[in-house]
Order: sequence, then structure tokens, then C-alpha cells
Amino acid sequence: MSTRSISTMWTLMRRELWESPGAFKWAPITILGLTLFFIVFGLILGSRFDNEMAFTLDAIRQFSDVPADQKRLFVTGALFAVSGLFFQILLLVLLFYLSSCLYDERKDRSILFWKSLPVSDTMTVASKVLTACLLAPAIYLVVVMITQIIVLLIATVYGFMAGINPFTAFWLPASLPKLWSVMALGLLIQGLWLLPVYAWLVFCSSWAPRVPILVAVAVPAVISLLQHAWSLLSSFSMPELNVGLIILKRLGSGILPSNIGWRVESSGNNIDLADVEFSEELFMSFSNSLEYLARPEMWVGIGIALALLAGSIWFRRRATDT
Amino acid sequence: MSLTIHARDLKRYYGSNRAVDGIDLEIPSGRIVGLIGPNGAGKTTALKAILGLTGFDGQLEVLGRKPDKDRDELMEDVCFIADVAVLPRWARVWQVIEMTERLHPRFSRERCMHYLKNTKVKQNTKVKALSKGMVVQLHLALVMAIDAKLLVLDEPTLGLDILFRKRFYSNLLNEYFDEERTILITTHQVEEVEHILTDLLFIKDGKLVLNATMDAVHERYREVMVKPDHVEEARAMNPIHERVLFGRHIFLFDGGDIARLREIGELHRPSVADLFVALMGEEYENSESTEEAA
Repeated sequence: MSTRSISTMWTLMRRELWESPGAFKWAPITILGLTLFFIVFGLILGSRFDNEMAFTLDAIRQFSDVPADQKRLFVTGALFAVSGLFFQILLLVLLFYLSSCLYDERKDRSILFWKSLPVSDTMTVASKVLTACLLAPAIYLVVVMITQIIVLLIATVYGFMAGINPFTAFWLPASLPKLWSVMALGLLIQGLWLLPVYAWLVFCSSWAPRVPILVAVAVPAVISLLQHAWSLLSSFSMPELNVGLIILKRLGSGILPSNIGWRVESSGNNIDLADVEFSEELFMSFSNSLEYLARPEMWVGIGIALALLAGSIWFRRRATDT
Repeated sequence: MSLTIHARDLKRYYGSNRAVDGIDLEIPSGRIVGLIGPNGAGKTTALKAILGLTGFDGQLEVLGRKPDKDRDELMEDVCFIADVAVLPRWARVWQVIEMTERLHPRFSRERCMHYLKNTKVKQNTKVKALSKGMVVQLHLALVMAIDAKLLVLDEPTLGLDILFRKRFYSNLLNEYFDEERTILITTHQVEEVEHILTDLLFIKDGKLVLNATMDAVHERYREVMVKPDHVEEARAMNPIHERVLFGRHIFLFDGGDIARLREIGELHRPSVADLFVALMGEEYENSESTEEAA
């Protein structure tokens, strides 16, 4: 890529942020506000029942005495929990964003303006996908990092009140650089894992005559219903491979926020909790995410995604205002 | 001489509807071409083919490139207003300007601000909060700030008041246009552009019915306001059009003997609008002549 195409791509991605400030700016800030509100609210409520905060401070003092690996498990676990809502909302936001990304410009005819600029259709489609896979997760991650720092600062104040060293009790076990790297890697690989779903939404938004998100949901839903009907009629059994279930399973088995070292069996009724080891590795493992790269489904999915994106570019090239 | 637009047998069918039905066109640089036609004649489809917004059959090269394949490269040298009010409604004015600046290598912010100076368009307003006319002003400022070789304007002044329209066309002619550039323009307000055009194209049912320079048009077509006693004589000379204005008969001739025409009446240059009516056939002719007779 030349310097000019990089700068074009960056401008196109900034354009996406300008177009959807609700999804990429106000949503994470709102979650940050809500998270902090509930934490502070909980602390104030707790202090009403806890005379002179004796119980709270006692618990903090006790916590500062537990072994280091348990501290790490607890603190990183808490910080992961703080991030959970952010990444769930992110996924939701992305589903809506992608399903309208090539539709809105056709609806309000601004496609005629965009097409008057020397930007290829491939660049345009790529800018939407990269916004969903890189830029939006990066923004949400930064807000998560800010939230986590604020949570740690609140803990620090409590630590001082309890007379312990907040650095060894909270900041050191939080191992922020590693925590954030794990999250960043998780988000990157999640982008690849969900790429076929993202690409399907982009594809629908590139041609759907109206309400692309309904089209995107209805097409696989109808196909899987027909599959069910056919296999019930023909062999009186459930279909072995069902399009709708494959998509739902992929969405459900995303990497973040459930970046935890256990595997759910594919049938869904055989969760082996014995596999869960309560060590710090539960959350803080790069291999949990990297393991996805070794799965054949990952690469099949990426292949499907590339085909769908090629289709989206084909439709974008032919799209005008009519 | 390099050709800006070169089309051979350009066609675009939508099912049985022949929107563009075999157009041959050679437009050199340094021209201002008016593409005039009734609604549904194929103007917009022809422009869309030239701009790479629609597929087509036949040959078409714009600035030596194939518009349907290389739209993005072509747009470095071509800019267009395909229709009014298509700027993204969610954007603020400064955002539209900044995006154009960053995405278009030949855009000059300075020139854009110069054209916006005399308007009420504010930097921080959202496009959806601008009036229709202000959106057009903004779009025209953006387009005129791009150093392009071909400028395509499809109904550029729709919704603008007469002061701005006059100023726009005078800017276009005095500040923007030069030997290197070509301007292709469609409009229903023919009277406003006819004095700046160098070439005239009439399109009807997907076909070109006239393709000539303005000089050739003035050479070829003559309007004669015929004295009442010569009306029959004039009719015998194969006029292509006859209309009645204030009780006087006005005939339009394709060629003809100048000396004879002078004898039977006053000779004028026909206006593009009158020529359009004469060449575009019955349905327009009838409605127009009854209107003017009344």
C-alpha cells in the first residue's frame, strides 16, 4: 500500500466515526458512565450498612495477605468483568453498523457524492470492514482501559484507608500491560473469527432494497427452517449441518468477552467444569485466543468472508441512486 | 487535439427501454457542451455512463480511460454534480470539506473557501440543516475547487435564486473555464446557459438529434419573422417549425436561401429553446405553440 492509499483509508475510517458517533463515541462513554455509577453507588450503599467501613477495610486487609497468584486471579478477573459489558455492546453496535454501512448511502443518494471522489469500491468496502475489525475495537479498548484505571484508583483510595500498600495489593496483580495485550489480541482474533458474519452483513447492505438487517437475519433463518422441514420430511431427523445454528454458534463462541480457558462442547449440553482451572491463566492467556487460529473453521470462515466481500464490492461498483 | 470524451455506438438498455441507443460523440478539450433533452430522453443515463456510474455497451473513453472499469482513477480528473443535494446529510460542512481535501489530490481548500465566502453556509452546520439552495452552493464550491479536466454538471442550479445562478455561470466562465478543461452541462433552463455554450447536443429517445458547435448552429438554422402576406410563401419553403407570436408567424429554417428569407421577413438567430422545440417533435411543438399563441 502506498502512502496515499494509507491516508485515504484512514480518512475513510474517520468518516465512519463521524457518521456514527452514537455507535463509536457515545455508546462506550455511556457504558463507562454507567459502570462507574454502579460501582460508586454500590460502594456508597455498602458504606451505609458497614459501620465506619470496618468490615470493608478488614476485607481489604485480608485480601492483601492472600498469595500472589490468587491476588492476580481475583484482580484480573474483576477487571475482565468490568470490560464485559463494553465488548458485548460493541458486538451489538457492529452488527447494526455493518448492516447499514453500504445501504444508507444508497438510501440518501450520497453515494453519488462518494462516487465522485477518486476512491475505489474496494477501498470503500475495506474501510467499513477495517472499522469494524480494528478501529471500533481499539476505541472500545481504550475506554475499557480508562475504566479499569479509574476502578483501580478507587481501589487505591480504599487501600490507603485500610492502611495497606495499594501497589502490591492491586496494581501489581492487575499486570495491566499483559491484561491489555491479552484483550487486544483477543479483539483482533475475534475480528477474524466473526469476519464471515461481518462480511455477510456488509454483503446484505450492498444490495438489500430496504431494511438490510432484516434481510440479513431472514435469509439464514428461512434457509435453516427449510433445511429442518426438508430433513424432517425426508428422513424424520434433524439436519446435521444447519446454516442458522452455525451462525448463532459462531456469534456465541466469540472470544471476548468470554476469553476464558474453558471449552464448551459443541452440543451445548456437555459442559465439563472439571476442565476449568482456577489459576490466573483462566483470563490471562494468549493461547486461549491464539488457539482459534489453529481451528479449520476459522480459515473456512475467512474464505467465505472474502467471497462475500468480493460480492459486496461487485454490488457497490454497480450501485447508484436508483 | 486530445479528445475528452470519445463514444462509438454507446448503448444502455434497461430491458426493452432503450435509454441510450447508439450515441457517437467526440468532445475535444476546451469546450462547454450543453446536453439538452426532454425528461426521459437518456441524458442522465448517458452522463452516468460517462462517469462510470453505470455499465454500457459500445465504446466509450473518457480522458483515455474506460469509465466503467477505472472510475476511481478517472475521478482524479473528472468531477461532477450528478444531481442536487446528494451531499451526506449527517456531515458538518467542515467535515465534507476536509474529506474532499483528503480524498481528492486536486482539491484546493483555498478556492473552495473563496467560492463559499459570499454564501451563508457556515462551517459547523450539518448538511441536513442547510437549505436546498445552500447545499447546492456548497456542492458547487467543492466541485469548482477541484482542478479537473472534465466537469459534468447535471441540473447544477436547480433550487438556486437568480442572483446566485448568474454569479455561478459567470464564475464558471471567467474563473474556472480554460482551454484545458471541458464542461458538460445539462439543464432545463436553457436560456441561462446558451450564451456560454460552445457546443450543442440534443438528445431524444436515446439518440442524438443534433450534435454541432454553436457557430455551426447559428450558421445553419435561421429564424424568420414573416410579414403577414408572405406566410404561404414561407410555408412552401419547407420550414422545420412554425409558431405564432402576437399574431406574427415565426418560421424556423434549416439552411435555405438567405436572400429569399430576408425578402419575406426579419432574420434572427434562433434561441436554443426555440430550436429545441422545433427539433424535438410534435408533442412539444403543439403544447408550446398553443401556449405562445394564447
